[in-house]
Amino acid sequence: MIELKNITKTYKKDNSLEVHVLKGIDMEIKKGEFVAIMAPSGMGKSTLMNIIGCLDKPTNGTYFLDGIEVDTLNDDELSHIRNKKIGFIFQSFNLLPISTSLENVELPLIYSSDNVDLKHRVKSVLESVGLADRLHYKPSELSGGQQQRVAIARALVNDPAIILADEPTGNLDTASSEEIMNIFKKLNQEGRTIVIVTHELDIAQQAKRTIKMKDGKIISDERR
Amino acid sequence: MSISKLVKVSFSGLAKYKGRTFLMMLGIIIGIATLTVIVAMTMGAQKKIMQNIQNFGPNSVMISAGGGKAWGPADEHTTTLTLDDMTAIKESINGIKYIAPFTNHQEQDIIYGNKKTTSAVIGATPEWADAWQWFTEKGDFISDEDVSSLSKNCVLGQTTSMELFSNQNPIGETVRINNTNFKVIGVMKKRGTSPLGMDMDRRITIPLPTAMRRLFNITYIGMLRLYLDDPDKLDEVTKSVTSILRERHHITPPEEDDFRVTNSIAIAKAVKGVSQTLVILLGLLSIIALLIGGIVITNIMFISVNERRKEIGIRRAFGARAKDIMNQFLTEALIITISGGIIGTILGIALSKGIALVKKMPVAISWESFVIAIVFSMIVGILAGLQPAKRAASLNPVDAIRG
Repeated sequence: MIELKNITKTYKKDNSLEVHVLKGIDMEIKKGEFVAIMAPSGMGKSTLMNIIGCLDKPTNGTYFLDGIEVDTLNDDELSHIRNKKIGFIFQSFNLLPISTSLENVELPLIYSSDNVDLKHRVKSVLESVGLADRLHYKPSELSGGQQQRVAIARALVNDPAIILADEPTGNLDTASSEEIMNIFKKLNQEGRTIVIVTHELDIAQQAKRTIKMKDGKIISDERR
Repeated sequence: MSISKLVKVSFSGLAKYKGRTFLMMLGIIIGIATLTVIVAMTMGAQKKIMQNIQNFGPNSVMISAGGGKAWGPADEHTTTLTLDDMTAIKESINGIKYIAPFTNHQEQDIIYGNKKTTSAVIGATPEWADAWQWFTEKGDFISDEDVSSLSKNCVLGQTTSMELFSNQNPIGETVRINNTNFKVIGVMKKRGTSPLGMDMDRRITIPLPTAMRRLFNITYIGMLRLYLDDPDKLDEVTKSVTSILRERHHITPPEEDDFRVTNSIAIAKAVKGVSQTLVILLGLLSIIALLIGGIVITNIMFISVNERRKEIGIRRAFGARAKDIMNQFLTEALIITISGGIIGTILGIALSKGIALVKKMPVAISWESFVIAIVFSMIVGILAGLQPAKRAASLNPVDAIRG
């Protein structure tokens, strides 16, 4: 499903100092896998995540998503993929602060061409993450765990094949982290592909496969 | 992304920044309000001019005895305009369809039973009705027989009729003009106000010879009205009439005319239109307000795009295309300017009504001014919103989402 071949990413800093964030990543993730990518902070995990999520483009290398070579797609096509196939979850939740849970979860549907029953779909997804009684709350009125559940609902609303979570428990206490991880496990059992990026070992160990990165390269890849 | 979704998203964006949104609208409101006032005043004046031409009668030339520049009824002491003048004009000028001589005596006492009013008394021939294109509503107008027999028949104007008879049928009744009894044979149609503001329906018309010989004992007429086949000849005929009359009255330069000739074109010109200076001044105000309004919108939107980078990044991550973001911000700009335009139009209409009341100026409120307002608002919205919207669309999603 996800196939990365010799992916590199280089940033140019102000005085033409080049920073090599990814130095040739080869990786294959199959449908239905639950993968944790582990690396210390600031070591290109998020960059890799953005590339997999079609939000960023690699400097070199090729990326196949469902057999499509992503590098050849234009902005509209990439947007379409992000809308249909990818559900992003971020460490800092990235909810719209002045919008309610309903409005936040509705967001991907606005950019979807399907004419599904918006209100009904949004509500049922929020119910599935246990927030049926928080539909009209704004993020500031919710706890961290609840906010992340809104974010998960938003990622799920368009029924994407892949969930990409960037340090999803990084801002949460232990109890909330556990809740979120249980949701991921359940989603994986339902057949969804889940890729999370983390620097915490105990989180990574809950996935079925752990890929460790260091200095922009993969150093280990183990399945449980 | 459908239009309704787009408008909904843009609306919710604006609703969450109310103070800022109002600030962005302010310039547009002022600009469009001013624009609406200009249009209302200009069209009001235009309407008034058209109405005056209509009341005076298109295709018409009027000659009245007495010099001076101001247009108006004949000077009652000037005795030089005669029926011979009329014959001379009729014989030497082509293109006259009707020519009607008449006398006009203002403020005469009219009595019916115990009711009394004052009215203009017009001595006229049957041609008068054709020359004025003004006919009776009920009964008959003065006939050739009335003229030849010096009959004591009269035709009432609407105002005079109302004041003496209320809703009673006046035909066949007898009224007294200057102690002479006249029989009412007809009532004229309503005509309204003259270009000089006089009530044209306050009148009573009698046969011309009756007026000259029986009532006022005069040998001259006060006025002549010509009705032409072709409105293009108005100026030419006016000039010819002037030279004929000057010659017949033995007037040589630098002596001034002892008569006045005017036509519907001159009457139209005489109406005080909206002062050109005022239009230019208000026009400038409107343009400046719209310009400043547009600049304010552009600047605040740039700030807004910057503040909402994260929102833009999030939208992009969940499938918004660059053009969806562009459309969102452009629509926000358009909603602001169009709402401002609508508020401005309403304000402008209120101001126009106020001006009409206080300054006694004619104003016309029309759908045209609404269309102009909306078109201008949209142009400003697109021009002001384009650059900020482009910037919003061009943000790199990865950078944007970091905030």
